[in-house]
Amino acid sequence: MQMTLRTAIAEGLHRLPTPAHALLPPAQRADLRHRLGRYYPWEQGFDLAPPILRAGEASGPPDFVGVGVPLAGAAWWYRMVVDHPGVSCREDVPMGRHYLAHFCTTRFGEEEAERYHGWFPRRAGTITGEWTPGYLGCPWVAPLLAVAAPDARLLVILRDPVERLRLQLARSAADRSDHIGEHIADAVDRGFYAEQLRRLLQFFPVEQVLILQYEQCVADPDGRLAATYRFLGLDDGHRPVIPRRPDGGTSPPAPVLDRDTRSRLVDIYASDVADLATLVPGLDLSLWPASAG
Amino acid sequence: MLPKVDGGRLSRCVALWHPDWMRPPSVARAAFRGLSPRTRSAVLHRIGRFAPWEDGFDLSPPAPAPGEVTGPPDFVGIGVQKGGTSWWYELIADHPGVWARDDIHKERHYFDHLGTVPFGDDDVHRYWGWFPRREGTITGEWTPDYLGYPWVAPLLARTAPDARLLVLLRDPVERFRSGLSFRLSMGAADTEATAADAVRQGFYARALHRVLRYFPADRIRVLQYEQCARDPGGELAATYRFLGLPDHRPRGLRHPVNVSGGKLPIDPGARQRLVDLYASDVADLVALFPTIDVSLWPNFAAHEG
Repeated sequence: MQMTLRTAIAEGLHRLPTPAHALLPPAQRADLRHRLGRYYPWEQGFDLAPPILRAGEASGPPDFVGVGVPLAGAAWWYRMVVDHPGVSCREDVPMGRHYLAHFCTTRFGEEEAERYHGWFPRRAGTITGEWTPGYLGCPWVAPLLAVAAPDARLLVILRDPVERLRLQLARSAADRSDHIGEHIADAVDRGFYAEQLRRLLQFFPVEQVLILQYEQCVADPDGRLAATYRFLGLDDGHRPVIPRRPDGGTSPPAPVLDRDTRSRLVDIYASDVADLATLVPGLDLSLWPASAG
Repeated sequence: MLPKVDGGRLSRCVALWHPDWMRPPSVARAAFRGLSPRTRSAVLHRIGRFAPWEDGFDLSPPAPAPGEVTGPPDFVGIGVQKGGTSWWYELIADHPGVWARDDIHKERHYFDHLGTVPFGDDDVHRYWGWFPRREGTITGEWTPDYLGYPWVAPLLARTAPDARLLVLLRDPVERFRSGLSFRLSMGAADTEATAADAVRQGFYARALHRVLRYFPADRIRVLQYEQCARDPGGELAATYRFLGLPDHRPRGLRHPVNVSGGKLPIDPGARQRLVDLYASDVADLVALFPTIDVSLWPNFAAHEG
């Protein structure tokens, strides 16, 4: 009885208009959501059971997996990839499955790998995949991916690390009150691209990974998209109707960094950016003025 | 805007946060402890009380007591979370040559807040204010999070260039299990980001390389929790010597605090994946600091040599 009442209250609060929601601190909002059994795919508690196959669909390992990075246009690029007629994409399945990120401390065997495959329904003659930008920052994911989808082609889209950091700071400003250092450290660490890529490359040959630069994608979307299609084994003549520019989304404005702060951050990233340039021959550092020394 | 916490109220702010230091009557205390960590912090924040690692914490230093002077810290412990640092700090603070005020948290967390904002001379002096000491004594802090924050070493080199640095390490897989379990018990969201943070904190060599760009190796003492637990007297004597202190025999030598706590259960396969993930960093660590005895880290002993 008590639980029913609590659930009813929680349901009522959850349905309040957004401004009323905003009165609750983020942690309490999350508690409320969890009480209703609602979890985001990146939260422990999310139901990992795959979606039910529709008529004419089969499931199997993903043909491609985008593994990075957050706030670098991955959602924009994914939409253009799945717009291709040779790609299956169900609207009710999230772009980022986050599946592999759940197995940091738990068993991952054949059963778990098969369940992962269930998350990739596709029509005959098409390919399919996912893009979880947070995978690259979860060091335990690469070995799991190598087991569950050894033949998948991997996609990574990178963006000027200081710019990316600035965007994440804006995004996390609301919920970083509990441990400010940890939130900033997460934002900083996800910008050490070379370090994270080197870990990935211990499990996948470099030919199996396409590393895109967000700024190049913005400057030459058709060219980079054709290259992406070719990398995925798709006909590169397709031209999607999606805008050739990422929309800004509803992100809060990113903080302006003063010169001193910026130069401290550039120092933090300098050696990783230099390493990245050796790892990714096509990287155009002139497009990353924010991180140039 | 929430009210600022003044120096006098600071101790109570810390006290309320730290269960062992709480002062209210036991009934109120028990009731408060019965609340979930998230509700506890919501209550405390509403009345303007923040822990040093929280966004709303007031970085203004406490007022020095009569006879105290302030200045840069003589030592700064920079790592690691769940490595036994509270135990070791208390042993250091027990030395008559060390000044440590009960009302100031061992973990100042000062630099946590300053990674992405301007940092000037005012910030340097404000940090010094956090280190009151009597003439003829030394003082310092131990914020285990610093090692994992890439922006701290350069700020610390600017603020306390002559400080001696202490790092207390522990088997990275065991540290990860304690660390994640601790963060979740403190109300952190159970997400992949929280797990990723706990994993990243175990790449010790990677983090120490960064510190070594700003501090010479002979100014850093890397201790190993497992060695301290096995031979506390010997390791403590070495720590005192490193800090320039004469030998001393404290009370309660063999009682690590805060280390055991809960440890997250882990699947054997997942453990092996973490061991593989850390193996090259551990090898790098031993090359960097040969006093690390890998045989005390059974997860990694097989990887040695």
